Amino acid sequence: MRPFHPEFILTAFVQIIPYLWVTIATMIGTVVFGSLIGLILARANIRRGFVSRVLAQAYIYITRCIPSIVMLFIVYYGLPELMLGFGIDLNNMNKGFFVIVTFSILFSANMAEVFRSAYETIDKGQREAALCAGLSEWQAFYRIVLPQCIVVALPNFTNALVNLMKEGSLSYTIGLIDVMGKGQLMIGQNFGSYSLETYLALTVIYWGLTVIMEKGFGGLEERISKRKKLAAAS
Amino acid sequence: MKLNTQFMGQTLIHALAGVPVTLEITIVTLLISVPLAFLMALARIKGRGIGNRIISVYVSMIRSTPVVLQILFLYSLIPTLLNYLLNQVWHLDINIFRVNPIVYAFVVFSLNTTAILSEVFRSALLTVGKGQMEAALCAGLTSWQAYIRIVIPQALVSALPNLCNTSINLLKSTSLAFMMTVKDIMAITKVDAAFGYNYIEAYLVVFVIYIVLCTVVQLLFTFIEKNLSGYKKLVAG
Repeated sequence: MRPFHPEFILTAFVQIIPYLWVTIATMIGTVVFGSLIGLILARANIRRGFVSRVLAQAYIYITRCIPSIVMLFIVYYGLPELMLGFGIDLNNMNKGFFVIVTFSILFSANMAEVFRSAYETIDKGQREAALCAGLSEWQAFYRIVLPQCIVVALPNFTNALVNLMKEGSLSYTIGLIDVMGKGQLMIGQNFGSYSLETYLALTVIYWGLTVIMEKGFGGLEERISKRKKLAAAS
Repeated sequence: MKLNTQFMGQTLIHALAGVPVTLEITIVTLLISVPLAFLMALARIKGRGIGNRIISVYVSMIRSTPVVLQILFLYSLIPTLLNYLLNQVWHLDINIFRVNPIVYAFVVFSLNTTAILSEVFRSALLTVGKGQMEAALCAGLTSWQAYIRIVIPQALVSALPNLCNTSINLLKSTSLAFMMTVKDIMAITKVDAAFGYNYIEAYLVVFVIYIVLCTVVQLLFTFIEKNLSGYKKLVAG
């Protein structure tokens, strides 16, 4: 039996934690770009235009079928070659860039569905009533439709975010030093020993992050829906 | 950018040899996980106490950690642990390191999928109203019969879309089995790719194969759903 040192879990934990910001930074980048693409996709999907809808649906279907690791490798090896054709050299680019590009592509498909389902649950009458009451189009969206959309979308968004974090752990395969990458690096530096302890530390980190996200967004959702009830009561 | 189409054709033929392996992992995992997950879901709905606690911690832990981490952890734990137990404690003299690595893939993916499916089944069972169960019991069915004949068929129909999602996610995550030296689609193309640095072409081949596989799975589930919802209408009528 290989020796097991529980105290090393703490050592690994302390050494890995500083790299948490890499994981979180790539996640934020992905959420920003992925949501933007997702918004465009959702809009294309909701509108009546046939071609844009088919394109959006094909995009969503294909990205849903693709394992993240395959997408990551295609982007990592393919994008620099593709861009070289346009005269842009990406070969010395930071690896975080490729991670953000890959996961933005994948995340946007999820987000498009989140946005679409949230938008579709809101009754059209809401917007029309707001317009009748004298609100402008922007006010109707901002004050009436959006708050309701957020309440509907938040649980799905949280799910997508947790999935993003889990899939994001694959970015160590192209050499990004995030939480997972640092763990693998440590195991390498210790010549393969302490691997169980390191993986346990990583488990604790990922578990903690998920719990924080779920609790945080759950609390936010509660607050927003409480305010909504308050508004409905007054 | 120019793609080496000849290489892509060759790799496609090579990679197709990996398709049965990928499907085998997916199907065996589902066969192991579905019954286990169902029992877990029942236990979580009915039971209280320590067993329930353990299950919910297990589900939460599996659902919140990446599959890669589970693969790496279990693949570095199980073989040495088994080797120690079998050869040093029980002196059975079995060479555990000659076991086909696909067995580890079954174990890891089953552990993962069971946790996810137990949540799927739990929410599906909860969608069937309590009144159904009570009515069945009043009509003289035993609680076992009520489950088999009344609750489960209805729950199954509402679980199908999620089951389809889980199967597709499982199929996608089997692409990580190459980390356990299983020779699936991904592993074969990786070897081909490394031979002549044709990475893009190789992964595009994998890309196409996975789209085809996922489409087949989705069509299969659409077919089952159609049949089952017809059955449901029959019951309702």
